[in-house]
Amino acid sequence: MSAAKQAIPADIGGEAVVAMAEHGSAKQAAPGRKILPIVEGVVLVAALVAPLLLQDYLTVFATRVIILALFALSFDLVWGYAGIMSFGQALFFGSAGYGVALLARDLDITNIFLVLPAGTIIGLTFALLLGGFLLLGRHPSSVIFVSLGTLTGSYAADRLARGWYYLGGQNGIPSIAPMTVGSYEFSEGPPFYYLVLGILVVVYLLCRFLVRSQFGLALAGLRENEQRIAFFGYKAQHLKAIIFAIGGAVAGLAGSLYAFHEGFVWPNMVGVVVSTQVVLYVLFGGSGTLIGAVIGAVIVEGVSFWLSDNYREVWPIILGVLLLLVILFRPLGLISFVLGERERVGSFGGKSKATEKEKRDAAP
Amino acid sequence: MANAFVAAFEILSFGAIIVLIVLGLGIIASMMGIFNFAQGEFVLLGAYITYLAYAKGLPIWAGMVAAPFAVGALGFVLEALIIRRFYAAPIVAMLGTYALGLIIRESVRGLIGGFYLTVPEPIGGSIDIGAMHISAWRFTIIVITALVMGGCYLLLARTSFGLRVRATLENPSLARASGISTPLIYGATFAFGAALAGLAGALIVPVFSLFADLGLRFLIQGFVAVMVGGVGSFIGPVAGAGLIGTLSAALPWVMAPVVADVLVFVLAIVFIKFRPQGLIAGKGV
Repeated sequence: MSAAKQAIPADIGGEAVVAMAEHGSAKQAAPGRKILPIVEGVVLVAALVAPLLLQDYLTVFATRVIILALFALSFDLVWGYAGIMSFGQALFFGSAGYGVALLARDLDITNIFLVLPAGTIIGLTFALLLGGFLLLGRHPSSVIFVSLGTLTGSYAADRLARGWYYLGGQNGIPSIAPMTVGSYEFSEGPPFYYLVLGILVVVYLLCRFLVRSQFGLALAGLRENEQRIAFFGYKAQHLKAIIFAIGGAVAGLAGSLYAFHEGFVWPNMVGVVVSTQVVLYVLFGGSGTLIGAVIGAVIVEGVSFWLSDNYREVWPIILGVLLLLVILFRPLGLISFVLGERERVGSFGGKSKATEKEKRDAAP
Repeated sequence: MANAFVAAFEILSFGAIIVLIVLGLGIIASMMGIFNFAQGEFVLLGAYITYLAYAKGLPIWAGMVAAPFAVGALGFVLEALIIRRFYAAPIVAMLGTYALGLIIRESVRGLIGGFYLTVPEPIGGSIDIGAMHISAWRFTIIVITALVMGGCYLLLARTSFGLRVRATLENPSLARASGISTPLIYGATFAFGAALAGLAGALIVPVFSLFADLGLRFLIQGFVAVMVGGVGSFIGPVAGAGLIGTLSAALPWVMAPVVADVLVFVLAIVFIKFRPQGLIAGKGV
């Protein structure tokens, strides 16, 4: 409480510095702007050739990583762009997973054109309900309330899934039938990998378009200073609820893919463990850049896969230490080693002009 | 009659445990504005120290006395090294303390393995009242909780240290101008909150046995209790903890435990949504 009071002057000072730095770098950062597309291109090429170089069991692992990267993307939209701390992103991921698992188990629906939209809609619905409740209302909710509210939601869902016999209790729902297109079954392996990669690329491009639109700029403004955006006449709460719902939909899509890829769902998938996992990905990679979330997921999962053979006990400790170091010294994540601050904030080819125009438009 | 009494005792003793755990969390959240995700791990450390004392053949109560001091000292060091950097940003503080908690939890997991280790109750047996038996240790926990609560209240309300803590909470710059060393106060407050968590861990380990996720189990309940009670005072979180603890112990007696579990959280979140200032909104102690 007192800390918040202290923070206000520091905050204003900090912003002024950032603003000055931005103006300063605007003149000379022209070559620096091109790094982001290069990073994206490199990651895409690496992802495309990976199955040709990897052994089969590693391709299966890579598929899982790609799905988790999609999940990380959903959290990055919510936290990295709009500044909503969703500690319960797994709620949407897992509930969609449970939803499609039930579809496959009880109704024998495994057609990819039915289950993936169904999963997305489940994620969207849950996010709309929870987000609408937490974010909307007469009084704007505090950041702490939203983060603890989402965390509690996820924890409650975990307990419910553990105790509800219909959902399989502690064991979850095992042996889900594979996804199908007509008579073709998607089993683990390269076809599934490329399917997931294709979905990731499409969703990534959609998100990229979204965050570079006027809407995305307003979101970045929310993250930086919510009050100011509200003063411009934006309905800050509505913007937040919308992006939260979109994030939920992406998480739902990732969750349904995950359920079919792993072939089972279990209570952890809706719970706090997975929720914090996705926070780790995005913090490591770098929040506020879509590619940062993807890279974070790949690095954390990759290193943990690599270390888990020999250092299974030590790995979570190392992860904690690394996370602490990143938070303390690299708040923008590992991506900030190669990417300038300017490319993150939303300076999409002349940010200052765009925001000024926006300000003029928004002003009554 | 006897059943009702046993039920009431069960509810009261669980409520006391929740209050004990939330005390430290509430003090840190109220006085410093930080939701400490590592609090559960401080509880775990308190439990682990007690177990160590027991495993080394020392009397259990020695471990229980040592636990709050050791954990408090660790809290002081962590505050000075790490937590101090987070004051300006509550969300970053959550993430940073989460990372700290992860480190502590996984270290303890490495030390004890995936086992459930039991520590016997230092005061065993039961107290008989007529035909009813209640666990002596649980009764002791209730008594100690009441004492600790009273002690904390007196410390914050009646001593000059408490006055300085409250002054720092109320207006840090004026407090600094009046010659109060606010960094020291923050450090001491955090250490005190951590020590309370250590004590809680030491006391509950005979009841719940020692396992790595011991602290995590109570963390979210603790956060919800603090929010329900209201951040910013000493009494608020305690009241919230009493309410949440009582509800989560009482509801399973009247409905399916699964439903009760979830219902408590849903009720709490709805309550906070419509009364963000919490049960007890006033400033004061």
